[in-house]
Amino acid sequence: MFQRRRVRILLALLVAAAIALVTIDFRGGDEGILDRARGGVTAVFRPVQDGVVTLVRPFSNLGRSVSELLAIRAENERLRERVAELEERRRAVSDLERENAEFRTLLDIADRTELDVAAARVVALAPSNFEWTVTIDVGADEGIERGMPVIDGDGLVGRVIQVTPGASRVLLAIDPSFSAAARSAGDGEVGILDGRGGDPMVLRLLDPLADLAVGDQVVTSSYQGGVFPAGIPIGTVAAVGEGGSALAPEVQVNPFVDFTRLHHVLVVFSTGVDDIPPFEGSDDLEFERPPVSPRLDDDADDDVDDEGSDEETSDGEDAGGPDATGANALGAPRPRP
Amino acid sequence: MIRRTLVMALLLVTAAVLETALFPSLALFGFRPDLLLLVTAVVATRDGPMAGARVGSAAGLLGDLLVTSAPVGLGVLVVSVLGALVGWSRPYLAPSSVTAPLLLVAAASVAGTAAHGILGGLLVDDRPGAELVVQAAIAVGLYNTLLSPLAYTLVRRVSDAFPLRGAGFQ
Repeated sequence: MFQRRRVRILLALLVAAAIALVTIDFRGGDEGILDRARGGVTAVFRPVQDGVVTLVRPFSNLGRSVSELLAIRAENERLRERVAELEERRRAVSDLERENAEFRTLLDIADRTELDVAAARVVALAPSNFEWTVTIDVGADEGIERGMPVIDGDGLVGRVIQVTPGASRVLLAIDPSFSAAARSAGDGEVGILDGRGGDPMVLRLLDPLADLAVGDQVVTSSYQGGVFPAGIPIGTVAAVGEGGSALAPEVQVNPFVDFTRLHHVLVVFSTGVDDIPPFEGSDDLEFERPPVSPRLDDDADDDVDDEGSDEETSDGEDAGGPDATGANALGAPRPRP
Repeated sequence: MIRRTLVMALLLVTAAVLETALFPSLALFGFRPDLLLLVTAVVATRDGPMAGARVGSAAGLLGDLLVTSAPVGLGVLVVSVLGALVGWSRPYLAPSSVTAPLLLVAAASVAGTAAHGILGGLLVDDRPGAELVVQAAIAVGLYNTLLSPLAYTLVRRVSDAFPLRGAGFQ
């Protein structure tokens, strides 16, 4: 009881002293006695505090370094994940940019040539190492027919050789069984272009004396009713072989199209020029055969006939005419060896 | 008695120096422990309300002069009253309990920090927000509770070496 009373008295005194101190501190302001006491205590303790701070600073720095290391590791992990995410997004964007560029090129060539086309995506390559074909995702349902030319932004890709309702197979222009009528874009020299697989394509010119130079551009020709619209770029002359008075030079042509990177193509709704019926068998022929010159005798007359006949045959063979190799000249597939 | 007083003063000065020099770099959620309050609570738990009030008044005055920028006397008021209250509650604790003193220290730390924040807010213009007062009270309570076993060990050795004598002490 006595002790409790003493404690109460002490506590009351302490509370009164505390209130008095607060009052003195408030009344004294910045220059009061308690403020000076505070400054004195701080001055006394400052060296001790500095010493303790100096002593513990390495340990506190160590602790801070450990915590910072952990934070940096966590941030490093987060940044790595962020980098991986951005890298993946960048790759996707690059792919989209490439695809966009392809579509722009396809649109450009479609507008430039004013062709009626259908866009297609290459979905498969040839299963064999000895044929150069691709499968595209458009077919008969989209109006695709056999023989239709296929192009991309760089030029001639090939020709449709097989059609199903939802897909088509395209014979690439580099396939050895591919042939197409072609001409030099510069001087118009006409020839037959053949694929050679992995080697450059070969242009067999009709004129033995044709003068083509390396770098000349080669385009498709509608010569003799070829299935391809005229003017589709094929490639550039890489080398010109030896020719002669009767032997047409073989011209090697590097294609514009990169056949290893085909992604999107255009199928051209064109079947080329209709075949014209044979000259003599035509019913609506308005041409009259000129009379035989009275100055020529029968032998001469026969020679003229024979000569004309020889010329026809010769032209037909050289040009790959419709009767002999005309099918190849017009782009039809040749039998494989 | 004089030696005990000197040792207790040395203990309080050490606590004040550590609180101002060491623990700012060991802050927990931005808050540091109130070692002066901790020593007062531990002394009061062990030696009773009279010792608690006396040590608390000295600790509060030292804190007012060295640690805080609050008006001088506020710490005296809060810590001495808390010392007496903790000392009075000591008989109600189970003598063999280990957790009861810790809980008492935790409660005293939370109450002392909150009271200091509230009274300081009433006396000065830039009063802390209620949310900050609650956060500080909880953080200081946790930190003081973590350090209380060490403080108990230290105070017990001092009390055993320099036992209280005289009227009013148990």
